[in-house]
Amino acid sequence: MSKTALVVDDSPTMRQMVALTLTNAGFTVVEAEHGKDAVNKVAGGSKMDIVVTDLNMPEMDGITLIKELRKMAAFKFTPILMLTTESAEDKKKAGKEAGATGWIVKPFNPELMLKVIAKVLPA
Amino acid sequence: MTTPWVEYCLWALVGAVTGTALTAWTLRVAQGQGRSETTGTEASELSRLKEHQQAWEAFAVCATHLIPVLKKQMEGVTQQTERAAMDLMVHMKGLALPATTSPSAETSTNLTKVVMAMQFQDITQQKLEHVAQALDQWHTHLHALLKGPQDESARREIALLQQLEESYTMEEERRLHAAALAPDYQEPVPIETEPTEVKSDSVTLF
Repeated sequence: MSKTALVVDDSPTMRQMVALTLTNAGFTVVEAEHGKDAVNKVAGGSKMDIVVTDLNMPEMDGITLIKELRKMAAFKFTPILMLTTESAEDKKKAGKEAGATGWIVKPFNPELMLKVIAKVLPA
Repeated sequence: MTTPWVEYCLWALVGAVTGTALTAWTLRVAQGQGRSETTGTEASELSRLKEHQQAWEAFAVCATHLIPVLKKQMEGVTQQTERAAMDLMVHMKGLALPATTSPSAETSTNLTKVVMAMQFQDITQQKLEHVAQALDQWHTHLHALLKGPQDESARREIALLQQLEESYTMEEERRLHAAALAPDYQEPVPIETEPTEVKSDSVTLF
């Protein structure tokens, strides 16, 4: 059974690029436009193997999304990667405190992203 | 784009200061503090300041009309580049091999480079959004200033403008901002970075 990934970004092109990278690596991808959309899409109890989310989004930002996901039993230990143009240390700290597993600065390298995902996915 | 923008900011600030000075001057003269009667020189100065204020008010009215137009132009550019990027994505998906087929090393490298280069659209869009946010603040501020320099909302908007840097998300934006304000700024502005290059610190695992 293929692994599932939740990709959250308000930019359709970014979502498509991350989705393409993950689909080519064998993932089934669920896309969401922002944090609120992502929460709605997993509210029914859907489990994901990995979450890749942007930081700055309308409706609900990435940090709030991580906090919301971490409250759900299904996402307590799911690896969550932030994918953002932001590289400031204080923002990374906020991401870590919210429960992010890792931080990738855009532009992302697809091969490097897959290596990071392989590293954070449970064996 | 940045230099005229900064120049505009400075002129707008001068305008705000001039408006405040004129109000203070007018009040002082009206209340008869320090002078029992207005001398010829003072009347001439007052007239010059009034003309100056009228010119600034005309400028503010014009700017409040033009700022939304400039924003629309920027949004148009963003939409066009987004459409182009989406078209490219469709073509690229057609070129990408299915997961069951192992792509050659060359194909894989090329796809990686294309995906990285295409992210310019998202990065450019974000930069333009930050400029648009600043334009929105100027627009609101100019509106408030037209009501009078002592208006509370004008003071609030000025305070917001001073926080412009906080809206930046990219190191490049912060450095460009600093370099535009200080000609002797020493930090390199990384605008020449190749979009296909990944910085060594681009990944952090917690």
